[in-house]
Amino acid sequence: MIDTLYSLNILDTSLALLISLVLGILFGVALEKAGFGSSRRLSGIFYFKDMAVLKVMFTALITAMLGLLYAQALGLISVESVYLMPTIYGAQIIGGLLFGIGFVMSGWCPGTAAVGLASGKWDALICILGAILGSILFNETFHFIQPLYTNGNQGILFLSDSLHLSKGVTAFLFTIIGIAAFWGVEKIEQKVTGKSEYLGSQFLKIFSFVLFSAALGLMLIYGQTTRKALVYPFFKNTQTACLFSEQALLQKVEEAQDHIAAEELAERLLNNNQEVLLVDVRPENEYANFHIKGAVNIRLSDLSEQLIGYKNQGIIVLYSNGMTHPAQARDSLNRQGFNNVYILTDGLLGFVDLCLKPVALRSEPVPDGLAQKINLWRGYFLGQAKGQKGVEEVRNFAHKAPGLIDTQWLSENYKKPDMKILDLRSQNEYNTSHIPGSLAISPESFRGVVKGVPSVLLPAAILSQTISLMGIKPNDFVVLVYGEKPHDATLVSMVFERLGHENYGILNGGFLKWQSEGRLVDTELPKVIDSSYRLNYADNFTVYYKTVLQAIKDKDAIILDVRPQDYYLGQKSDEARAGHIPGAINRPYTEDIRKADKYSLFKTVDELTTAYKSIIPTNASKIIVHCRTGHQASQTFFILKNLLGYTNVYWYDGGWTEWSARKELPIK
Amino acid sequence: MENSPKPYMNPYLAGVFLGSVLLASFLVLGAGLGASSGLARIAAALELSIAKTHTLSSEYFGKWGETPLNYYLVFMFVGTVLGGLFSALAAKRISFQLEKGKAASRLLRISFALIGGIIIGYASRLAQGCTSGQALTGGALLLTGSLVFLICLFAGGYLAAYFVRRQWND
Repeated sequence: MIDTLYSLNILDTSLALLISLVLGILFGVALEKAGFGSSRRLSGIFYFKDMAVLKVMFTALITAMLGLLYAQALGLISVESVYLMPTIYGAQIIGGLLFGIGFVMSGWCPGTAAVGLASGKWDALICILGAILGSILFNETFHFIQPLYTNGNQGILFLSDSLHLSKGVTAFLFTIIGIAAFWGVEKIEQKVTGKSEYLGSQFLKIFSFVLFSAALGLMLIYGQTTRKALVYPFFKNTQTACLFSEQALLQKVEEAQDHIAAEELAERLLNNNQEVLLVDVRPENEYANFHIKGAVNIRLSDLSEQLIGYKNQGIIVLYSNGMTHPAQARDSLNRQGFNNVYILTDGLLGFVDLCLKPVALRSEPVPDGLAQKINLWRGYFLGQAKGQKGVEEVRNFAHKAPGLIDTQWLSENYKKPDMKILDLRSQNEYNTSHIPGSLAISPESFRGVVKGVPSVLLPAAILSQTISLMGIKPNDFVVLVYGEKPHDATLVSMVFERLGHENYGILNGGFLKWQSEGRLVDTELPKVIDSSYRLNYADNFTVYYKTVLQAIKDKDAIILDVRPQDYYLGQKSDEARAGHIPGAINRPYTEDIRKADKYSLFKTVDELTTAYKSIIPTNASKIIVHCRTGHQASQTFFILKNLLGYTNVYWYDGGWTEWSARKELPIK
Repeated sequence: MENSPKPYMNPYLAGVFLGSVLLASFLVLGAGLGASSGLARIAAALELSIAKTHTLSSEYFGKWGETPLNYYLVFMFVGTVLGGLFSALAAKRISFQLEKGKAASRLLRISFALIGGIIIGYASRLAQGCTSGQALTGGALLLTGSLVFLICLFAGGYLAAYFVRRQWND
């Protein structure tokens, strides 16, 4: 899989600039050779005299389109690693019409004018100067034109989605139209100018046939709109040689190499296999009713976003009641470059039948070995809901977790072996005095740049490594200790939320309360034996901008912007744009905190309940919280979910940083 | 330029060549070809040199900061001029001239080129791209908006063609 410079976010390095220069040179050569250094030739298309523009442009378009789709089919590149422009109907319709007028007037467009300039054409120079003036004019009138600039913004929209066709079919139709156009314009040229160089020529016939075959092959690979889900994905792992071999393909399907058998899955889960991420793609209520232990629930539409951190790492197993939905989802993920997605043979129903059905109820005799296994599986999968041994013991001395814990309780329990205290203050504060046995960790060690978005919580795989280095085990009770900012603790709580480690609490009042009460502190470093924290993924609460955008459209969620009011109102801004997400309600995170004289406390549950009742109708309302970087919003998330018991809370981690920087997203 | 210029390349093969360059750009850069952005960046640099504070505080150019030229599409534009130069030299197609119809006045052609230039400069900012960045690149990606732009581009061109035809009168 190719990592493009864009996907690595290094389009501004000198390497990228050098490559751009080289590509530019090739671009210039191509345009010049096509004869686009002449405005007369270029504008010929508008007078039906010289249709070269159409021939060159459509051929180039079809070539690159087919090439890119083949590259995707071969698993060379995923479409996400290419910069995609949003569809903005208003701007593109008016912009296109205007551009066409400018094009026919000047006889140039920017790229061809560059070549015209190189060929010594004065009118190209004049046109370029005009375009520079036009750009400045745009900048100066941006304020007036801005409504049009964002009018009809659809985000990233593919023609295939607009037409409800598969990509293969769309590309095929496009190619057919292109070929028809080539023959059509040759005819036009013959009529208008009396001669056509290529009409009926051997060359055009062969050329048309090659394009047609290439597009047809592509359509076969990508399958029909009916989604032959089982057919496509095996191309991923196969090499070019057998790309066109139907037989090899069908054989793979027959061998069911994309399936995982129920028994195998059960064994892997029972043995705590860390490589398996089991995903239940059924609706939330069905998941809540019953699911295979260890599965996370992700909606089909969110799969690619939620699973991005697991792309080609370990194996992802999708299941539903049957197999149709997972197969479709797997097909889609495959097209996005995932080659580690499997579906559970015969789905949940098959799993229950094969692994969980009591031996006594089976119509066919069961061998002894298998009977034993079935009993083991039944014990594991149908036993405790949360299942981890030891949790109960820890719970004996714990408060309701996750939750807030007070200093008195901690002073009684801090020496217990399963207790891990994380001190989130600065290094020098920690070095001079800390709660005995606590470990120093900066909240920032859990954040980084993910897919170009700065300051977002790192993928679970990385988090679990950091957690392992701190010697934390899945059954440990973790206490988060903040300094002055309670939201430092809630940010780190998101780490444990993401890993499904519910056994944690936040010390209310933080270190400063502990200190002001004269409780025991020391300066020693704790002994840590690193653990191997099981990679677990329980994150069904982090949402991405697309989900937020959808929620705005569907109006089915309350968007809570927890930044300070002046940021919400756009009076202050540290980001690409000022303002807020349309429809977002402002509830500054600071409102939920009470300052005592020396430390900060969470407000009482009663106070918080009253405050949020006036904003959120019911406990089940869908709520998306966000701030600038996800830090402040983590506090609101913690309060709503863990203190107030809201059941449908989501965290838009990318926050205003990402939203404001994605110019296609609407703001207010 | 005493020797006669070489003929143009077969347009279909030129298209395959151009498409391959675009494909290479997708695979390596992860972004397609572009030209108008380069020009807009040059415009921003010019405006910066004249009125720095004003430009930096302006809504559109402002976000490009103090060094708008440090951008891949600026380099691509420079490359396009260079590539055009190499190719035109090799094919002996460089001739210093104002291209126009024999019967059209120089003033007419110059005004049309200038006004047309201003319009394409403006329109390509509005649509976030030109024939290269939107129509060709976005078209190859089969993005709906880019194809809408492409259709409107030709619609606008054909609508206006009649009114500006005098510049090509022989």
